[in-house]
Amino acid sequence: MIDIVFLVISFLTILSTIMVVRSNKLVHSAIYLAGTFIGTAGLFILLKAEFLAWVQILVYVGAVITLILFTIMLTRKGEEE
Amino acid sequence: MLSLAMWTGDIMFPNAYELIVYILNFIGLYEPINNIFKTLGIEYVLRIIIVLVEIAVLVVFALLTIMFLTWMERKVVAMVQARYGPMVTGPRGLLQPVMDGVKLIGKEDIIPAKADRWVFTLAPFIVFIPALLIFIPLPFGESLIISDLNVGLLYIIAISAVSPIAILLAGWASNNKYSLMGAIRAVAQDMSYTIPLALSAIAIVLFTGSLSTVDIVSAQNGTWFGFIPKWFIFLQPLGFLLFLIASIAEMGRIPFDFQESEQELVAGFFTEYSGMKFAMFFLAEYAHLFSVSAIVVTLFLGGWSFPFLNLLPAGLVPLVSFGIFLVKTYVIIFFAMWLRDTVPRVRIDQLMNLGWKIMIPLALLNLLATGFLLTAGVF
Repeated sequence: MIDIVFLVISFLTILSTIMVVRSNKLVHSAIYLAGTFIGTAGLFILLKAEFLAWVQILVYVGAVITLILFTIMLTRKGEEE
Repeated sequence: MLSLAMWTGDIMFPNAYELIVYILNFIGLYEPINNIFKTLGIEYVLRIIIVLVEIAVLVVFALLTIMFLTWMERKVVAMVQARYGPMVTGPRGLLQPVMDGVKLIGKEDIIPAKADRWVFTLAPFIVFIPALLIFIPLPFGESLIISDLNVGLLYIIAISAVSPIAILLAGWASNNKYSLMGAIRAVAQDMSYTIPLALSAIAIVLFTGSLSTVDIVSAQNGTWFGFIPKWFIFLQPLGFLLFLIASIAEMGRIPFDFQESEQELVAGFFTEYSGMKFAMFFLAEYAHLFSVSAIVVTLFLGGWSFPFLNLLPAGLVPLVSFGIFLVKTYVIIFFAMWLRDTVPRVRIDQLMNLGWKIMIPLALLNLLATGFLLTAGVF
């Protein structure tokens, strides 16, 4: 049972990691990066490291992704030319 | 025999799952159902079904609460402005939220031509899911909690840190300058007010020594001198004030509603949304209102605990404590609505000054004083 959950979570994490470098728009990459971080937090929960998992969500998803999105949105859109 | 135990014995459960199993055992249904699953060799399916039932009850409760809150908000505003508010549909307009829902479902779902369709569709869901996820570690009453996480408070802070992303995405994907401005304001405000919020919550954790919401509530169970309840509001009045102001600012309600200040930004980050997507932002806002008030109650007003609750028969305690929790939460919600009707909007520089120059230093001082007094052994 736990193996299936592990496989699903790691598949989704790897998929979104690949999509980070595959997508054309920077904002989409940032969203996929958030997916990667959430997947990693899921792996931490499977390892029974709850504290680490929620700190991962708080720091990476809550702060780092917001910062990345802020910088992308406040700079000029170069990718659409 | 069993009923006697139910009325006199000590039947506190760690979470609602155990309570459901106890009740099923009590009416003699658990063993036969469990045996059916055992003979099929899929025992874990029963566990999953019980958890799904819990989640369904929670979601239904959350949606009913949201519907009631939209009605209550209109009624409170009307009361302050000496009007009647919604009166036509149902008794005293109580069915108005249902009509609103039907209207919003029937509306056309417009996506602007130059919007980023994928992100535009995704954003309402990312707003709505964390708003419901926060309900998981909330103790609604004795034994009435979906899951008592060891790191419950950290979980709450972490999950509420996810919603700014969705606001930014919604504002950016609409391809509208008002939306983007609203989103940037909302996120700047969210980020600066999370700091005093978390700092004043940490002062509570110093008292309890645990991040679990159940431990925080049980630390507030009991009385001083026989009649003053042991709520943290009396030990942490400054912390309570800071937490309340910071959470109202995080919700983006009226004294701090820069994200959607109508006179400047149309409707802020959800200007371009219509139909069900707009409804999801709306629902998330009220779910947030309820969950934030519930967190204030849990941390500072004793959660479901109340003096002399232990005099009641044990079988009644979950229900009565649920009622007490709801009453306390609605007092905080009413306060937020009342504030909305009486206070004008502050300016954005005043907001940032209040956040960074007044509330964060005060929260740090509060934390320092609490730590000092605890180490000195005053409490």
